[in-house]
Amino acid sequence: MQTNAIAIQLKRIISRGRVLTSPAQLSGYASDGLGYKAYTPDAVVIPADAEELSQFMAEARHLNIPVTMRGAGTSLSGGSVAAQGGVIVHTSALKSVREIHTDGFWCEVECGVTLSHLESKLKPHGLFYPPDPSSGPVCTLGGNVASNAGGAHCFRYGVTSNYVLGVEVLLLDGSRHRFGGPAGGRGGWREDWKRFMIGSEGTLGAFTRFWLRILPLPEKIWTFRATYPDLRTAESAIHRLVAHPCFPTAIELLDPRGVAMVESSPMACGLPRGSFMLLTEIDGPAALVDSRVRAVDQILRDAGSDDVVYSDQEEQRKQLWKARKAAGGLLGQLSPDYVVQDAVIPKQALATILQLVYDEADAAGIMAVNIFHAGDGNLHPNFLFNSLIPGQLEKVEGISHRLMQRVIDVGGTLSGEHGIGNDKAKYMPLFMGPESMRLQIAVPAAFNEGHQLNPLKVFPGRKFVA
Amino acid sequence: MNPTFFPVSERLFTHFLDTTDGTICLPACSSAADVRNQTAPHKLRFPLQLDLEASLSEQIQASTHAPASHRFGPFCDNVIGMNWRLPTGRMVRIGERVVKTTTGYDWHRFLLHSGLRFGEPVDYVLRLRPDCGSDTLVFLRGDFRDLSKAASILLKGGWMHWLESLDFMASESGVELRIWIHTVPEEAGIFEAHLTEIAALTQTLIEIQRGASPPVDGIPDLAIKTTPDRAIDLARSISNDAIHSAALCYSGVVHVWLPSVKAHQAGVESLVGPHLDTLLSIGGDWRSRHIRHDKPIAAEAAWIKTLEEAIHGT
Repeated sequence: MQTNAIAIQLKRIISRGRVLTSPAQLSGYASDGLGYKAYTPDAVVIPADAEELSQFMAEARHLNIPVTMRGAGTSLSGGSVAAQGGVIVHTSALKSVREIHTDGFWCEVECGVTLSHLESKLKPHGLFYPPDPSSGPVCTLGGNVASNAGGAHCFRYGVTSNYVLGVEVLLLDGSRHRFGGPAGGRGGWREDWKRFMIGSEGTLGAFTRFWLRILPLPEKIWTFRATYPDLRTAESAIHRLVAHPCFPTAIELLDPRGVAMVESSPMACGLPRGSFMLLTEIDGPAALVDSRVRAVDQILRDAGSDDVVYSDQEEQRKQLWKARKAAGGLLGQLSPDYVVQDAVIPKQALATILQLVYDEADAAGIMAVNIFHAGDGNLHPNFLFNSLIPGQLEKVEGISHRLMQRVIDVGGTLSGEHGIGNDKAKYMPLFMGPESMRLQIAVPAAFNEGHQLNPLKVFPGRKFVA
Repeated sequence: MNPTFFPVSERLFTHFLDTTDGTICLPACSSAADVRNQTAPHKLRFPLQLDLEASLSEQIQASTHAPASHRFGPFCDNVIGMNWRLPTGRMVRIGERVVKTTTGYDWHRFLLHSGLRFGEPVDYVLRLRPDCGSDTLVFLRGDFRDLSKAASILLKGGWMHWLESLDFMASESGVELRIWIHTVPEEAGIFEAHLTEIAALTQTLIEIQRGASPPVDGIPDLAIKTTPDRAIDLARSISNDAIHSAALCYSGVVHVWLPSVKAHQAGVESLVGPHLDTLLSIGGDWRSRHIRHDKPIAAEAAWIKTLEEAIHGT
């Protein structure tokens, strides 16, 4: 279908919202956080509200082109891009926090609400929503639920799927369904369908709103930063913290290449060159958490650090987090392109996998930086490259392939919190056997049989045939 | 999609205990006592338990939550993987041995409490937690309004994160709040001091049982999922001289135990009936190990059929 013909049809459906078709407008939707893969959509629609989104979904099948849902576009796996062309549906207008139920510990939000907006609404009630991906200031809950987002504090608090009580979904047949709700059960359904919706990466339906579980804010937080001369001592600290009754909320690690990157930048924090930097936090009522500070300090020192700094003061805590927070942004300054992997491994394989990353990257002349959620075993090797230099992208993809195979061999998984998108879809056949794959493919077959929604994502064969 | 591109055979979990990650894979027919025997020597534990002798599978089919779900979430956040036997007899690995995943569609959570309609679990991978060495049970007793107030204060404060469970218990002997604390022995006093303050504030009587065993209430005959603010009232309204109930306050779950096997089926339906419309309107549900939920509603029939075809390989 020609773009102008699509635009005419879309403008008939979307009368109160916006339809974007100019090249300049579309270019802003060509990629997500995985910037080096660009797919310009044929059009973008911004429904004015849930009703207009519902009208669009009811007619989408007749458009006979791919439809891709998009929140803030911060996905790191090529999840919210028009990989097969077609229309991107931008949900930015669905941004209402509809209800906060302080006695029931739940809130109802529309899919375009950003995490930071929800946080600002919950805080006056002494409540919070724990998942905290690093894109928190801008990312939307729709994207979070679609990719089952995590974050630094998931080590204790868990990921998005631990907090979604209910999902309202629009399907391509025009039907609207609520799976779960404030109580977080099945509702009137025999089966618990929301389980498939969470982490479905926009391949099953269009989310309009969610019911989310919320928690009282912790009274007090202590942040600790320690540096280690080598991985062996850093690993020792990780293992001791994981097993300790203080239940840290986060255990984060920045490798020496990451430390060097930070220290060479205006964001330098005075970290020793060549060191591993470990960050951890504990929280709780003052009477409890204060009594644990000495024990955590001792753990960090006993593991081999003589550089332990900690604070319960907001500004100082921000300083302790500075290197970790800055690292992600610096990657983009150092290199035109980068890929961040998201594997989760049994922690006993940490040294093996990190060494593989270093060996492979060094042999290929590719810079690799590891910034990751060590407590969960959730690795984020970042490969920095220039896609305009012939052969570099192929080298990175080769490294990624061998890395993923090794992750699978040690019992790990392909993605912990970013989703599969189109970046990792090619690895799925490495990970799943024929029975598992048959079950997996049955899910989109049930809800989106023709793969019109977000095609070429999650599984490589999910192609929409007009 | 063409299935011929699958290059690997089915990968199944083998039994293991990973003390570094705090995970264990063991048969689904294992009891809580079996789990404890394997994990305790490593100062690890699986806190979600309803019954010591019944199999994990029975417990998980009976309810989505246990008392320690207050702190650690429902079973589906703590059972992280399975070997699952399909109705065809073929085995498939579902979920992971790592604690975090967003790889593919979440069949794991979908199947875990599916009432064995799509097959059955053979092995579970459990997420374990540090064994801190000391269990204390604290009981607050008083009139219903004061206990509700105490529960509300405890739930809304920062201490709620550190309580193993906060349960409202209703039986023929009356009502009480049961608070389970699992901590290192040297911290127990800090908890006790706080709870003593709460008791004074709410004019409830406090009883502290140090060195207690973790609470084991038995497998419920009925489990109702509602919202946290409704759970205590619901538990109270359901209980009487013969019917005991427990509201797992933060989880919004009410567990109910009926007096006799004969009373089970009719009893369950008569108990749930008056609350059903409200429950469904808030996205709640109920389950009973005595009643099978086999009939889908019309809107889900086609989805179920597609899944069943995949399960049967047709």
